[in-house]
Amino acid sequence: MRGKTLAFASLGGAIGWLVYLLFGFVREDLFQYFVATIATAVYSEILARVMKKPATEFQIVALLPLVPGGGIFYTMEYCVIGNNEKFMETGLHTLGIAGALATGILLVSSIFRIGNPPYRGLKKE
Amino acid sequence: MEHVITSCERIKIDRCRKERAGARNGGISTGASSGQISYDRLVNTAADIGYLLIANGAEISRAEESMRRIFYAYGAEEGEVFAIPNYLSVSVNAPEGRPITAIRRISSHQVNMNRVDLANDLCRRICRTKPPFDSVNREVRRISKLPTVTLPVQIIAYALVAAAFTLFYGGTAADAAVACLCGAAIKPVCWLLEHFHVNQFFIYLSASFIAAAITLVFANSFVTLNYDRIIIGVLMNLVPGVAITSFMRDIIAGDMIAGVLRFTESLLVAAAIAIGAGIALTSMRMLLGV
Repeated sequence: MRGKTLAFASLGGAIGWLVYLLFGFVREDLFQYFVATIATAVYSEILARVMKKPATEFQIVALLPLVPGGGIFYTMEYCVIGNNEKFMETGLHTLGIAGALATGILLVSSIFRIGNPPYRGLKKE
Repeated sequence: MEHVITSCERIKIDRCRKERAGARNGGISTGASSGQISYDRLVNTAADIGYLLIANGAEISRAEESMRRIFYAYGAEEGEVFAIPNYLSVSVNAPEGRPITAIRRISSHQVNMNRVDLANDLCRRICRTKPPFDSVNREVRRISKLPTVTLPVQIIAYALVAAAFTLFYGGTAADAAVACLCGAAIKPVCWLLEHFHVNQFFIYLSASFIAAAITLVFANSFVTLNYDRIIIGVLMNLVPGVAITSFMRDIIAGDMIAGVLRFTESLLVAAAIAIGAGIALTSMRMLLGV
């Protein structure tokens, strides 16, 4: 990935986090992650069609800031310390974030596929 | 037994001759009317392009669709393809009804979106202009040999990513400096282990262990640091963001097996990262009594 693609893909990451922060007023970070993912996914799908490049290219980069690296770490730390209550809580929350990201991509990608189903070869009589 | 082999060989030789004759008559004709396309080469070309796409991190549906479109472009009406992240098979029925199949095992994966991009462009071009197979094969070879980012640049990138994410998660400038060092330290480790074909999860585990160990040594010997922020920042280099993105896209496209495989992969990578850092944390606590 280089040049213009690189710049636009990074911009997607910025848009994602901007949307996350803008929706800070709801005080529900799963929802924030969900909306931010939708923003990045819409951005990537549109850009993919404009620039004639795979949408994944933009999506992967744009989603990176939203990936719950912190959640994985704190879950592990509570596990190591032996704080089982916090371990379960953080672990489930991390899974929830991953689920929010996945659902966001699912929603947008499905909607963008409606008029444009994947090519499955010639129809058999 | 001997007889069978020789007759098989004769058929092969005959086919080669025919191909060569076809090539002399102005390249491989691609029109369906003449029925002269070389199905062997078609299957191989399609499999090569599919391999190129999947090995560099494209979605399964993209690879399958590309291969189907290539069949269609060259006039092979009955072609079947199937792919999962580490396997792909392509099959076409030649006009006499003889099935031709190619299988590729995709053992090593990387994410190289530049190559996916170029392979994608190549597919579009193939479907538009139907170039002779020789030029397609040349192009496939050229794309798969394109230089990747060199190791020093990757080390710098890892260091910068680690520092940036540490700041992003609320670390101080001192935290970012340590993260920079850790980031630069884990890339050579990953590179070395990859060089010796160590399995992927052990690579993640070791990298995560080293990142956490360096951070904790610094945090316990010098100024007070937010060690959690540093470790998270460095580990963002390793987090399975690509797997999370592509597993969902695979499932939406209807490739359940591929989706489940990638989902499992992302879980295992996350677990490997957590275990690596966990070992470092526990052993530090035992050694230093923190």
